[in-house]
Amino acid sequence: MGLIEAIKKYNLTNPISNVENSDAFTYFLNNGIPTNKNEEWKYTSLKQLVSNDFSVEAEGEEISQEELDKSTLKTENQIIFLNGEMVQKPEIDGVSITSYTDKNPSFEDAFTALNAAYAKNGYRIHVEKNVHLNDSIEVIFLSKNTTNNFIQYRNRIDLNENSSIKIIEHFKCLDKNLCFTNSLTNINLEKSSNIEFNKLQNHNDFQIVVDNTIINQDEKSYSTINTLLLGGKFTRNNLSFYQNGEYCESNMNGVVILNNNEFGDNHTYVDHKKANCESNELYKGIYLNKSKGVFNGKIMVRPDAQKINAFQANNNLLLSENSSINSKPQLEIYADDVKCSHGCTIGQLDDDALFYMRTRGINKDDAKTILTFAFASEAIEKLTIAELADITKKEMEKKLNLSLN
Amino acid sequence: MLKIENLKAGIEEVKILNGIDLSVNAGEVHAIMGPNGSGKSTLSAVIAGNESYEVESGSIIFEGEDLLELDPDQRAHKGVFLSFQYPVEIPGISVSNFLKAAISEKRKQLGLDPISAKDLLGKMREKMELLNMKKGYLSRNMNEGFSGGEKKRNEIFQMAMLEPKLAILDETDSGLDIDALKIVANGVNKLKNKKNATIVITHYQRLLDYIIPDYVHVLHNGRIIKSGGKELALELEEKGYDWITKEADKKWG
Repeated sequence: MGLIEAIKKYNLTNPISNVENSDAFTYFLNNGIPTNKNEEWKYTSLKQLVSNDFSVEAEGEEISQEELDKSTLKTENQIIFLNGEMVQKPEIDGVSITSYTDKNPSFEDAFTALNAAYAKNGYRIHVEKNVHLNDSIEVIFLSKNTTNNFIQYRNRIDLNENSSIKIIEHFKCLDKNLCFTNSLTNINLEKSSNIEFNKLQNHNDFQIVVDNTIINQDEKSYSTINTLLLGGKFTRNNLSFYQNGEYCESNMNGVVILNNNEFGDNHTYVDHKKANCESNELYKGIYLNKSKGVFNGKIMVRPDAQKINAFQANNNLLLSENSSINSKPQLEIYADDVKCSHGCTIGQLDDDALFYMRTRGINKDDAKTILTFAFASEAIEKLTIAELADITKKEMEKKLNLSLN
Repeated sequence: MLKIENLKAGIEEVKILNGIDLSVNAGEVHAIMGPNGSGKSTLSAVIAGNESYEVESGSIIFEGEDLLELDPDQRAHKGVFLSFQYPVEIPGISVSNFLKAAISEKRKQLGLDPISAKDLLGKMREKMELLNMKKGYLSRNMNEGFSGGEKKRNEIFQMAMLEPKLAILDETDSGLDIDALKIVANGVNKLKNKKNATIVITHYQRLLDYIIPDYVHVLHNGRIIKSGGKELALELEEKGYDWITKEADKKWG
């Protein structure tokens, strides 16, 4: 039974009682899983993957302490989900952490609609006014199943005025069945608050992830989203910023390194609605073997958004003849006093640089590795959590060693 | 040390080197001069192993081994060094990390013990002094944002660190003002000894006032058309290239 049929069957045994969720589900059924005909999914296809047999929200297998210990980053503050259920959360002054169900879920496309209709698991983090958290909070979603499973999370983070927080989020599947995660996180930033949200996506060959992250920013708020897409069968990230007040800043920083048949798609959107704001976006992609990537960066500058500064760059390195990237910058500018720049590059390693290094005695594979690291360094250097930079570098090294030798 | 015989090479369909013969012994300095387009840079690129060039025939024997059989990095391990006319910028890797990678690999290939970080740094400091290099240089990215003079000095610095048996300096004087030229030439002279050899490739005689060659060769249309002592360079400076190239053109057409 393919995913759509599995969801319909799930609906029969889990009927929806309220109208909001029911509307969302109807929207999903009417629209279905997006195909290449949908402009936003032109180069991204789930067709084959969703034709596999799926269970929906299966109960899951027991996860041992050892498996858990191996999966986390061993940070101080951990929110742990095992098979959809929150089993651990830290106690922090001025921060409330609870499990979360969205009472009034909104949606804008088929996946967010499905999430709105049925996601019942997730976390809410609420940071009180003037609270600044030095240590990061690690959120891990672990699951283990005996069948292919479809699971959804819906999260919410609220930062009150002048507060700040750092989060690391990652999803891990411990079995060798397909594990399809459809998650959505709403982040609301009040005046002068600051979030750094790190998405560590070092997924395995069985993970399929559709991730939606929506950030609403009030004046003078500051957000940084680091996306470290280091592996996974299929990943689609939708990252959207809405600048609702003046003098806010939105930063996106991405490192993508994919190998074999992995697929990764980063769709980003910045809605500059007010004046005097900034957005900075840098995505570096490295594609090995038959891996494929998509980048779509849309920047909307509304008529009131004067004196904004929007910068976007997407640089890609194709290290194999069989790898590919579709990169599309999209700028819509309706204000006249703005600074916007965008650039997209796709290339191979520079032969002159390789030759130069080899004349110094550095062998070809090492020279390629050094140049690839150098290519990604600009994005990696922006990571403030050293452990994440280390994980990224190690993963890169592992993938390069596998594909070069 | 180096014996090049009847070397013919080109890029795609274009023939650039039309039969080069050259012998270089340890302790010698050879200057290769010639007008633009004569094949000077091609010769250095082929000796170093640039795969963009196709070698049609001939051999390059270096210490008894044909370099044409070796990869560029293996040639470097044997002791061949090329100072580039246009050194390549490599953003994202510092000078010190770059050299560490190069020296570690060379020592590994030669079966030598790894050099300690402390010894390596000490050696870098010593060589930096030789070339009047500023503090902070080691942590700059390789050639990135370097001025023309800094890039050339960086080439000689790498040469000093790698201690090659055969150094080929391709137009090392181009883009240098007289002070920088003196520093670079002084560095090259200090690194010279009885066991190594230097090939200086230059368009102008100027550099040869500071690096005195034992032999001067004139390259034209991919052939060495005249060889002589250091006085040949002065003669070329005075009379230009025409008087010998015309004669050569008559001979080879």
